[in-house]
Amino acid sequence: MSVDEGASPAPVVLDASVLIEAARGDGEIMTLIQGYDAEGRPLLIPVLAVTAAALDTRSEDAEAILYGLERLASSVIVPVQDAEQALALAAVTARTGLDPYDAHAAVIADAEICPILTLDAAKWQEHARDLDEPLHFVEIAEPDGA
Amino acid sequence: MRSWPGNERRDDGPPEYDQSMTERKMRVTVTIDPHLAAYAEQLVEAGQADSVSAVVNSALEARRLRDQRARRLWRDLTAQADPEKAARMKAHVDAQLAALPASHRYR
Repeated sequence: MSVDEGASPAPVVLDASVLIEAARGDGEIMTLIQGYDAEGRPLLIPVLAVTAAALDTRSEDAEAILYGLERLASSVIVPVQDAEQALALAAVTARTGLDPYDAHAAVIADAEICPILTLDAAKWQEHARDLDEPLHFVEIAEPDGA
Repeated sequence: MRSWPGNERRDDGPPEYDQSMTERKMRVTVTIDPHLAAYAEQLVEAGQADSVSAVVNSALEARRLRDQRARRLWRDLTAQADPEKAARMKAHVDAQLAALPASHRYR
């Protein structure tokens, strides 16, 4: 049996840049998220990335869009669960120079062995090797020539 | 089972009038946390609610409206999106996902 047969897709972590665009009402980004949700790909949403998006766009619509993310069938809002996780997050933040919102995405991607979905590949390129295991990221963009 | 906004129905749910005006109340038994029960009773005692049932009813209505607002925004904003652009973006992401190490592609 090949790896593909019977295997389910790995989760993806949505970073703050993706949630910020969704909260701003970017229909294409929201459609993309819906598409992966419909395919049953687990969407891991760092709770701190939700905070970042809510801070970026202070409106009731933005809050409703972010609230709607939690209602997606395949989404999982990933909390900072306890003091141990909070301290681990602080350690990654200090070590990488990422802000806490993105450090949370990095911690989740590292723990879950899955890629980060982002609109800012340059940021992750800079920090991809800051952890013990390299981070993998996937950029949302229109391909060249489109 | 959650069915939205990823796999949403196309209707807007129930009509937008105050159904409490047209339907009889339904008796249900619920279990709530002690501090919330105490708060509901406090609201009644302070004259800010007619009954504990009214407090629970009001909280559920707020939840229903919040769900409805989120569902509408997701539906309307994705309906306005350029489907070809979204498809190109997804194809681009899919190609990158397919190129990841197997450890990051499958479970």
